[in-house]
Amino acid sequence: MFLLNAPIVATREVAPGMAVVSMEAPEIAASVRAGQFVNLGIAGPFLRRPFSVYRVDGESIEVVLKAVGVGTAELLGMRPGDLVSCLGPLGRGFDLEAGPRSAVLVSGGLGVAPMPLAAREARALGMRVTWVHGARSARELCSEAEGEEVIFATDDGSRGFAGTAVAAAPDGELVLACGPNRMLAAVAERWPEARVAVETYMGCGTGVCLGCAVPLKAGGYDRACKEGPVYRAAAVDWASLPSHLPYAVTA
Amino acid sequence: MTVDMSVSVGGLRLRGPVLAASGTFGYGTEVPLLERRALGGMVSKGIFLRPRAGTPPPRIVETPSGMLNAIGLQGPGADALIREYAPLWASWDFPVLVNINGESVGEYGELTSRLDGVPGVAGFEINISCPNVEQGGMYFGNDPHAAAAVTEAVRKRTRLPVWVKLTPMVSDIGVIARAVEAAGADALCAVNTFVGMSIDLNAHQPRLSFRTGGLSGPAIRPLAVHLAHQAARSVRIPVLGVGGIMRAEDALEFLVAGCTAVQVGTATFVNPRAIADIHDGIKAHLETHGFSSVADLPRYLPRD
Repeated sequence: MFLLNAPIVATREVAPGMAVVSMEAPEIAASVRAGQFVNLGIAGPFLRRPFSVYRVDGESIEVVLKAVGVGTAELLGMRPGDLVSCLGPLGRGFDLEAGPRSAVLVSGGLGVAPMPLAAREARALGMRVTWVHGARSARELCSEAEGEEVIFATDDGSRGFAGTAVAAAPDGELVLACGPNRMLAAVAERWPEARVAVETYMGCGTGVCLGCAVPLKAGGYDRACKEGPVYRAAAVDWASLPSHLPYAVTA
Repeated sequence: MTVDMSVSVGGLRLRGPVLAASGTFGYGTEVPLLERRALGGMVSKGIFLRPRAGTPPPRIVETPSGMLNAIGLQGPGADALIREYAPLWASWDFPVLVNINGESVGEYGELTSRLDGVPGVAGFEINISCPNVEQGGMYFGNDPHAAAAVTEAVRKRTRLPVWVKLTPMVSDIGVIARAVEAAGADALCAVNTFVGMSIDLNAHQPRLSFRTGGLSGPAIRPLAVHLAHQAARSVRIPVLGVGGIMRAEDALEFLVAGCTAVQVGTATFVNPRAIADIHDGIKAHLETHGFSSVADLPRYLPRD
């Protein structure tokens, strides 16, 4: 785990109101795995904000976000050279290993966040990658997706499959998913063995505050920031995990 | 000039005046980027005799200059603490006090008996101020007789230092402070979180599943400085100041207001290096003003 003052490198829009921010964080770029996150200290909000690492490019890492509150607005307004306090890599990611021949990546909205890294790792392990990305409408779809096959799904049918990303997805030997918790609950019904990255509120991001409790089917809670944010879909008690957070935190 | 940063507080000699506050440091085993040299001591996450699951999510919510939490004292219970954590603490170069909780006076006593004499347990911080449990917790801290009864029950069962963490949710903290001092406390920690509430205007209901939570962070600092000061004026035993300390200047306010040491909690979530930064900042302030030790810092403490 590293704590760095990371200079912003660039910001690019990937959908109206949704942007990728890259920052120079060499130690994190060298060690992060798909599904892990960074906790960013931003002027304005009191607490840090967790973001899945979206992509790694040389010594830089990228995160993807929408302006939903003061923290994200501040981050989107930063210019190249501005410093952001970057703590990471944090949590347990998808932990991909060689074996499966195909991987299906299912993302809803900002759930694209961990997928470019997951696609890269899966392909490096010899898997054929199908990425299914869903949003409410065509204009809210992330413009970046990669894989041998890319399937889009929109709730209003304005592009690709008319319906949810879960309904649009084919079966695969390995299923990875990220998106709103209600979407992940649907993933759990269809693929109990899928690996899903949950969203929760987060305090410290390092395991000490117990704020990011994830209710488990087996009883009790564990920590999205430490044992998670990636879980076996069937392990989570979805009925007890809030499905609508008042503000979106994708970790 | 070398500044002596050590302090004597409530039966312990600490190498520095900054401690990690309970609930913000876990059991000290997975704290990132820990700079031990700056740590005067640590108070472990609050524990009950038996394991507790804690409250359902959402457990935390950010508020202006702070946060509300309702974790509900999730913890593994005394046996697991003795087995898994105390042996590690025994080898550490700073003391670890255990924050102890109970639903009854008898339970506090039983937990103390269980932990007393376990290598690695350097003392006790009695939690009579947790706002996030249905039974016990803050109830004991609201009532001078109940607070004294819990303190006495613990005191009778150990010769280790006994500190009492006070709740701010009282009309006169001096009354509670004097009651637990008379019951045998070695030091007071002032204060725990304030009870607060935050409403989600989309769902039209509280943001926290527990409805209310404990408010921490700089939002409470001036309130906490005042209450720590009031507690210090009321008793002869030392007071550890806690509440919204983010920087060395904040810690120094508590010290000048009559505290002997401070605890830092929520700041660690924001800045994992907060404790070291605060320790170093206090030292720099003492050097700048020509004080040779923490004890030399002037105190504003007119006695009641």
